[in-house]
Amino acid sequence: MQYAKVYAEDVQVGSEMPPLVKPPIQQIQLTRYAGASGDFNPIHQDAAFAKAAGMGDVFAHGMLSMGFVAQSVTDWFGVGTVRKLAVRFAALVRLGDVVTCRGKVAAKRPAKDGDGPYVVDLELWAENQKGEKVITGKATAALISRG
Amino acid sequence: MAIQINTSVKGKEYPPYRVRVERGKIKEFARAIGDLSPLYLDDEVAAAGPWGDIIAPPTFPITFRDEGADTGVLLRDLGVDLGRILHGEQEFEHFKPVRPGQTYLCRNRVTDIYEKAGKSGPMAFVVRETTVTDADNDIVAVMRGTTVVRL
Repeated sequence: MQYAKVYAEDVQVGSEMPPLVKPPIQQIQLTRYAGASGDFNPIHQDAAFAKAAGMGDVFAHGMLSMGFVAQSVTDWFGVGTVRKLAVRFAALVRLGDVVTCRGKVAAKRPAKDGDGPYVVDLELWAENQKGEKVITGKATAALISRG
Repeated sequence: MAIQINTSVKGKEYPPYRVRVERGKIKEFARAIGDLSPLYLDDEVAAAGPWGDIIAPPTFPITFRDEGADTGVLLRDLGVDLGRILHGEQEFEHFKPVRPGQTYLCRNRVTDIYEKAGKSGPMAFVVRETTVTDADNDIVAVMRGTTVVRL
């Protein structure tokens, strides 16, 4: 269940993920994500609704930013490597924000059940252009051996 | 003035529902995120890849919705307006790839409700867990989401 880009031997505890810098958030992307995900909460589409709800203006679906974080892991390790992904949405992502996903290896261990044969635990975060964390999280990915 | 929510929803199980994964929805989802991996988007490249077909990105199971078990139903049960909620946390565990053309069974329940003071006032945290199983009755994915209600 993986398509390796990086082998287990290529990463150690402390290895840093290549940052994934996404294009500035535009309304059209929130509209596309609403259609693709089925989350049509108007707070992501309708500025008047968002203002009336006390949020000032529309903001991005948290799940869109989580999709960016997932992409940062699969860009590094390969599609199909993610076994667990858990995030906390720490701050809102607004129109025009540039989200950068970052991470590093927190642990590397043999897999238990024939998966892998290695699993890597990652500490992950995403930040906006001001360096404020918008997501913090963790992931576990399965990596194959080069040998 | 703070609102009250119906905390008796804790423990509630919603009716199980089936979702058939459409090939085009996987591609639409990957493109909406801007993740253009050919293993999500290109049938020919993916056919020669490890699964013999495209698979879905890690967060795709969030699209597994049903009118009988969605956030709208939860909010009605809680007695909360849509404008009051935020997505607090989300977790996915993946055990098998999600593939086009497959039908998955989703079971969704409210596992916890708790309240605490937030930076901008009192908040309620509603935790839902959705277990996704395939035709072999294997667990494909488990999702856990925390919805924050501004009280």
